[in-house]
Amino acid sequence: MSATTTEPLSYLDNTGDDPTVRARLVVGDNDFHAVTNKVCGIVESPQPRLWWVAFAISSSLTLVLLAMIAYLVTTGIGVWGLMIPVGWGYAIVNFVFWVGIGHAGTLISAILFLLRQRWRTSINRFAEGMTIFAVVCAGVFPGIHVGRVWFAYWLAPIPNQMSMWPNFRSPLLWDVFAVGTYATVSLLFWYMGMIPDLAALRDRAKTKIRYYAYGLLALGWRSSNRHWHRFEFAYLLLAALATPLVLSVHSVVSFDFAVSIMPGWHTTIFPPYFVAGAIFSGFAMVVTLVIPVRRIYGLQEIITKRHLENMAKIMLATGTMVGFAYSTEFFIAWYSGNTYEAFTFMNRAFGPYAWAYWTMVTCNVLVPQVFWMKRFRTNTILLWIASVLINVGMWFERFVIVVSSLSRDYLPTSWGYYRPSIVDILTFVGSFGLFFTLFLLFVRFLPIVGMAEVKGVMPQAHLDRPGHRGHGDYHGDITGTEVLS
Amino acid sequence: MSSMNHHNGMAYWRSLDELEQTAEFREAVGREFPNDDWDRLPPATRRQFLKVMGASLALAGLTACRWPKEEIVPFAHRPEGRTPGVPQRFATSMEIDGVALGMLVTSFDGRPIKAEGNPLHPDSLGALSAVAQAEILQLYDPDRSRRLLLREGGQQYVKDWNEFESLAGGLFSGAGAAVLAGAFSSPTLGALRERFLTAHPEARWYEYEPISRDNEREGTRLVFGSMVRIHPHLGGAEVVACFDADPLFDHPAALRLVREFAAARNPESGTGGRLYVGESGFSLTGVRADHRVAVASSRVPALLAAVANSLVAEHGLELPAAAAGFAGATDHSATDDERHFVDLLAADLMTHRSRSVVLVGPRQAPAVHALAAVLNHALGATGSTITYTADPSPDRPSHLEAISDLARRIQDDEIETLLILGGNPAYDAPADLDFADLLAGVPVSIHLSLYDDETSKLCTWHLPASHSLESWGDGAAWDGTLSLRQPLIEPLYGGRSAIEVLAIAADDGPKSGYELVRESLSGRSGIPISGDFWRRALRDGVVGQSAWETVAPPTDPAGLASAVDGLRELLEVGRPTTEHPELVLVPDAKVFDGRFANNGWLQELPDAITKITWDNALLISPATARDIGVSDSEVASVEARGATLDLPVCVVPGMARNCAAVALGYGRAAAGQVGNGVGVDTYRFRTTAAPGILSGVAIRGTGRSYELATTQDHFAIDTIGFSERNLRVADLVRETSLDAYLENPEIIHEQEHHPPLISLWKDHEYEGEQWGMAIDLNACIGCNACIVACQAENNIPVVGRQQVLNQREMQWIRLDRYFKTAPGVTPDEVDDAEIVFQPMTCVQCENAPCEQVCPVAATQHTTDGLNAMVYNRCIGTRYCSNNCPYKVRRFNFFNYHKDLADTTKMQFNPDVTVRSRGVMEKCTFCVQRIEAVRIAARNDNRPIADGEIMPACAQTCPAEAITFGNLNDRSSDVSRSREEHRSYAALAELNIRPRTHYLARVNNPVDGMPSSVEGAGDHGKESG
Amino acid sequence: MNEDKSNDIFIFPRWTGILRPAIAAGALGGALYATVIVAFGFSPWATDVGYAPVQPVPYSHALHVGQLGMDCRYCHNTVEHTAAAAIPPTQTCMNCHKSVRAASERLIPVFESYSTGMPVQWIRVHDLPDFVYFNHSAHVRRGVGCVSCHGRIDTMEVVTQVKPLSMSWCLDCHRNPERHLRPVEFITELDWVPDDDQLVLGRRLRETKNINPPQDCNTCHR
Repeated sequence: MSATTTEPLSYLDNTGDDPTVRARLVVGDNDFHAVTNKVCGIVESPQPRLWWVAFAISSSLTLVLLAMIAYLVTTGIGVWGLMIPVGWGYAIVNFVFWVGIGHAGTLISAILFLLRQRWRTSINRFAEGMTIFAVVCAGVFPGIHVGRVWFAYWLAPIPNQMSMWPNFRSPLLWDVFAVGTYATVSLLFWYMGMIPDLAALRDRAKTKIRYYAYGLLALGWRSSNRHWHRFEFAYLLLAALATPLVLSVHSVVSFDFAVSIMPGWHTTIFPPYFVAGAIFSGFAMVVTLVIPVRRIYGLQEIITKRHLENMAKIMLATGTMVGFAYSTEFFIAWYSGNTYEAFTFMNRAFGPYAWAYWTMVTCNVLVPQVFWMKRFRTNTILLWIASVLINVGMWFERFVIVVSSLSRDYLPTSWGYYRPSIVDILTFVGSFGLFFTLFLLFVRFLPIVGMAEVKGVMPQAHLDRPGHRGHGDYHGDITGTEVLS
Repeated sequence: MSSMNHHNGMAYWRSLDELEQTAEFREAVGREFPNDDWDRLPPATRRQFLKVMGASLALAGLTACRWPKEEIVPFAHRPEGRTPGVPQRFATSMEIDGVALGMLVTSFDGRPIKAEGNPLHPDSLGALSAVAQAEILQLYDPDRSRRLLLREGGQQYVKDWNEFESLAGGLFSGAGAAVLAGAFSSPTLGALRERFLTAHPEARWYEYEPISRDNEREGTRLVFGSMVRIHPHLGGAEVVACFDADPLFDHPAALRLVREFAAARNPESGTGGRLYVGESGFSLTGVRADHRVAVASSRVPALLAAVANSLVAEHGLELPAAAAGFAGATDHSATDDERHFVDLLAADLMTHRSRSVVLVGPRQAPAVHALAAVLNHALGATGSTITYTADPSPDRPSHLEAISDLARRIQDDEIETLLILGGNPAYDAPADLDFADLLAGVPVSIHLSLYDDETSKLCTWHLPASHSLESWGDGAAWDGTLSLRQPLIEPLYGGRSAIEVLAIAADDGPKSGYELVRESLSGRSGIPISGDFWRRALRDGVVGQSAWETVAPPTDPAGLASAVDGLRELLEVGRPTTEHPELVLVPDAKVFDGRFANNGWLQELPDAITKITWDNALLISPATARDIGVSDSEVASVEARGATLDLPVCVVPGMARNCAAVALGYGRAAAGQVGNGVGVDTYRFRTTAAPGILSGVAIRGTGRSYELATTQDHFAIDTIGFSERNLRVADLVRETSLDAYLENPEIIHEQEHHPPLISLWKDHEYEGEQWGMAIDLNACIGCNACIVACQAENNIPVVGRQQVLNQREMQWIRLDRYFKTAPGVTPDEVDDAEIVFQPMTCVQCENAPCEQVCPVAATQHTTDGLNAMVYNRCIGTRYCSNNCPYKVRRFNFFNYHKDLADTTKMQFNPDVTVRSRGVMEKCTFCVQRIEAVRIAARNDNRPIADGEIMPACAQTCPAEAITFGNLNDRSSDVSRSREEHRSYAALAELNIRPRTHYLARVNNPVDGMPSSVEGAGDHGKESG
Repeated sequence: MNEDKSNDIFIFPRWTGILRPAIAAGALGGALYATVIVAFGFSPWATDVGYAPVQPVPYSHALHVGQLGMDCRYCHNTVEHTAAAAIPPTQTCMNCHKSVRAASERLIPVFESYSTGMPVQWIRVHDLPDFVYFNHSAHVRRGVGCVSCHGRIDTMEVVTQVKPLSMSWCLDCHRNPERHLRPVEFITELDWVPDDDQLVLGRRLRETKNINPPQDCNTCHR
């Protein structure tokens, strides 16, 4: 629980691949109380100095973001590097980047839940939180990238004296709805799942403020049987509701490009390709965050190496899918015989933006391949480095798609080369500030591990089942309803 | 003596002022600091955009509330024939280099807002050049001088006209008085000159223009004994041979010549014709050439001599005995291209005798013009493709002689008082005269000028001139037709015109320009100046049948002999080498000799060939660049005639080997806030000995680089982009040869390979009109007139060099320029190339990609087929622009109108919304003009006649390349041109169904099948 | 009781029962209230209608049109031919006021303007945004009466804006013009009422004169 926990000893290693030995999802001799102490302790005990340093940095970056937005709104889009032909630059790239990252949480909590991947329990809360903050960051950009922000409300279908509707044929409008829905549902999902743990915090509260604050948030949770029943049923429903969204959001985002007629944008492969990429980047971001956190707050026994390894495997899978998408694009560009399309891809790989393209390929396709090797999956340092690289790569993927396609379209006379302005860059950096500020506050005030759910997969949860003691991810006769009631 | 008076006078006024304590005086006292730049505007310039602008979010929000209180101020007495809010048009004229150009100026509630051509004027025929149209902006230029200034002892005093008048009387009496005027054709000014010289017999009169056709004049004198003016007629010309000449652009009668040329070259209705051009760098004429060879300007005489040779030797053409010497000189160093060119041309000239014409550019020496005249004569061109009139001022010395003589006299202190009417000699006089220094030494120098410019700052007196749209005047067209000039607005800054000032100097008392013009007109023989005549003349802007008589001058053996010697000398000149390349100084296509340097429209106008804005650059061919070792956008240090200048290099194909060219007219020091410090002042290279062609210069790379603000990518880009560009041109800009076209009219469609085009959406229905446009690439010569017309009509802002560098230029019309090179070559292998133009603006797609993606429906299809752009609805997502395959939409990245002076805002067209920042804008076929005509027609229940609606671009196009009209009317011009075989749509394979179609360009080379047609081996562009 | 004690912390006090419905109601009501207020407060109905600025000369349309029965076009004489229904020059006023009330000091601004040539500075009442291009002639020639947009000017002492002049208001008429069409000879008769039903008349006029008001953006925005 303190920052001084040492690197996990061998007994903490639950990454064995021997199917006869059921790996434990929580290692060390932790009983329920120990888990509660560990998790609640993070919120209750004062934060390590490292937290304060991080918070100082990220919050000042947030101020930078606000300053840049103010400058933008008072001066004009021209403070960015945009021009004709490249009418979309960093803003949209960042938007897609953040939305993509926002995919891991809901995927883990919803899809893995429905798939009974019970190892999710240790990381889902954490991932969901990250999702919300990523979506917040994403939400910033479409808002500020329009030329006349003060009229952005015209995007919403509200009655007005002009008796004008928005244009429902425009993918940008679909975006508004898709991202809006996604944000709402993820938020609900996140909050729903937190209620029992908030109640736990409430019950352990030492100060009045905490008592009432957590009390209010806990919505009077008394952990009665009925409560648990309702809770788990609602959780199941939300999971079912969220699952299609995981796939729909980034599909819709990809329509922004796929529906246009720009070579390099107008591609049928975009929806699946974007979703795969989103999950890819999402997990990369989870890993990037979770490794330091578990280290600093001594959660190695709850967020175990097995969790990291599993995520590494998912990254390997999705990363390979993305790589496949890249190659398919090239093949189709050649196979379709569409010379514009063909040129766009040759230009990506060998034109002025080749540097961005090859950065993308290296980070997204080559780097994940190391996860074929267990060493890389289980060594936290290497894993962390790889996941950071993947984040970089995924940002460049969006950059390549948006910018390199626009910069050279149909008429050679209107070709151009896009250079970001300093404001572009600071806005981007600032969005990271916003993201980490929110994340640090989350760590500071909310339970970052779903205690109740973790307890559910601990050996102690199955004392009533002789013969299955200690088999955390037992898949036998524990049916959904059983789990839920 | 006069300086004595002057001094006393000075003291007298000052005491008087002190007595009265007039406002001016106090102002002057307050501001009497040496070289104090006090009468500047607030330093907000149109070019500093990256500083924070106003319009905060809060204010923007408030606009949702009640509009600000507005006032209506009706006339107390409404003038006759004036209806509030209804524009009126007046015929007037402006004079450039002594040639009057007729204009029709639209005036809205008393504000002139747009200049168009005067259909009745022989040199305009309804069209107007880019430069002339930009006059409107100059009229409202806030930098124009507003006061009379007297500079003495490093101090600056504000004066008024009375003070000058009372002084002027004494100034010009006695020896040492001189007047330096520009070239002029105004009879009134001519009459006043006589009056002035009779009033002051000892005074001297000089005329200087940095850019003139004096060589041509002198050439004709050599041939005919007397100076005559040459009038080419391209209408009936089967063969036009241009030697360093650009009749389609830099000729005073270019607009007429373009009209004739375009009409003749139309493969359906035209008489045909073939264009040969031998020149050092691409001129607009060269772009249209059927056979073009790039030769250094110093070698052009040799080229023409070779033609003469071949004509005489191989085709048996007889020259006058005295001119026999022109032939016989064989150029052994000629390249194969040159030989080929000469053989083809000579043969063609011979077969088309009397239907051919040889033209030589003003840069070339008189002897070359003489040779051309002789050839024209021998080929029987005289009277058919070329006519002559007597030179209007035969006894005028050449401009260079004049300025040299004046300089010499100033040097010898013979000049006491110098009155400079317009012009800017301190800036543009030949460098070897050091005219600026000399001028500073003249005791009393008076400069009448629109701006307090380089010359004014060196003169003791600066007089603000009235703009040509503010003053009465007259002038003669190139063919002599008398053109009247009437003011459209009171002088904004209290300026006076040259004739008014000269009248004062001639002791003719202060008289209004109106009086003076009427006087001289009535004085003019043969013209009854009755009220009726006067009114008609004013309405028409020209006096009918007032063109000069054509003459058929006999040749003059003596002159011819000297011409032959002159040519022989020219032939001695060797070819320029890599070590000693040649530099050609050319007048700029936009700022001309520098006089328009403060005009934002022109500064930002992309040069037709290089697409450079806001700069002049050293143009050299790729091969030469490689040899010399400089690269595109590198700063080269150029040393010529003792001066060394750093010039940015622009590598452009089509320049002659080892021959560089650079434009004059840049690097102004006192042009105004727009023009100051733009480009490099290359007049420093220009000497009386070598005014245009400088041989043996030194060009060295400096390693430093300087980014030129171009509106298109440079010729040299990465290999992959370069080859793709070459691949696409053949499909985008279709062209074929006349032979191939006549043999198979469908030839330009043979390269179309795409699957059937099926639309996802339901087709629009059109009951009434549906508008369409056709642009004839065979007529378009790339003169940029349409761009300025559009800018003036649609309130398009000037954004400045930095924004152009950021690729945010705003002109709605983009004149796409493509270099055509053989397929498969890399930028490093190319040296020469063919150029094709394609005017590109919104084509109003039927299936418009922009309409589908706009989230707020700010761009929509209208019931007459337009692709409407609703500025007040646009929120600026820029999605439409991203999705536009032609990239013809323009975005207001900043509030570009914020820093405009109030005077400049007076130019705005009130019928077009001024776009705020954050708003997308684009061409809408001048929808304001469409609506105006539609309402008028509906009001009197009549259909809209074909051609009644004219978009600004179509109206001003000298080649009549742009046709606009109703596609639902099968008989309309545009429908018919749609049905021509040459008609095609750019990017048709995307099935966006553009409403603007292009008519393919048809070249007429001798050998029939130009490579460009086979070059179009580019298949199957299924839309992505 | 022990258990009760330990359970107390789980139990909210009874009064908190009211909170949930209260919060719900508050949120809903508040949202509704805000929407209504904003929507109405910013609508032209609230911002523009009823605008009646004080003019430099207290010119009474009620007197000139209502009582003296002058035709609108006597002063606004360009209305049938041009976009603007021009405010008359001072000259027009003086045509009568040379003799009529030639001494009234309320007319002094007019007399001054007439003698000095400086215009009378009237205040614009019916003011459209600069990006809207309304053309009087196009409407008047089709038989849209003055009253349709300007109301009963002939009863106004001070000219007041009576219609919102909002885009939706324009569109209402462009979509169903028959409600406002009348024979052109009656366009300036502000109190004119059709003999038979307006809709019947309107439809007939629309039919005969083939009036199809365009709803393209660039009909009004250029």
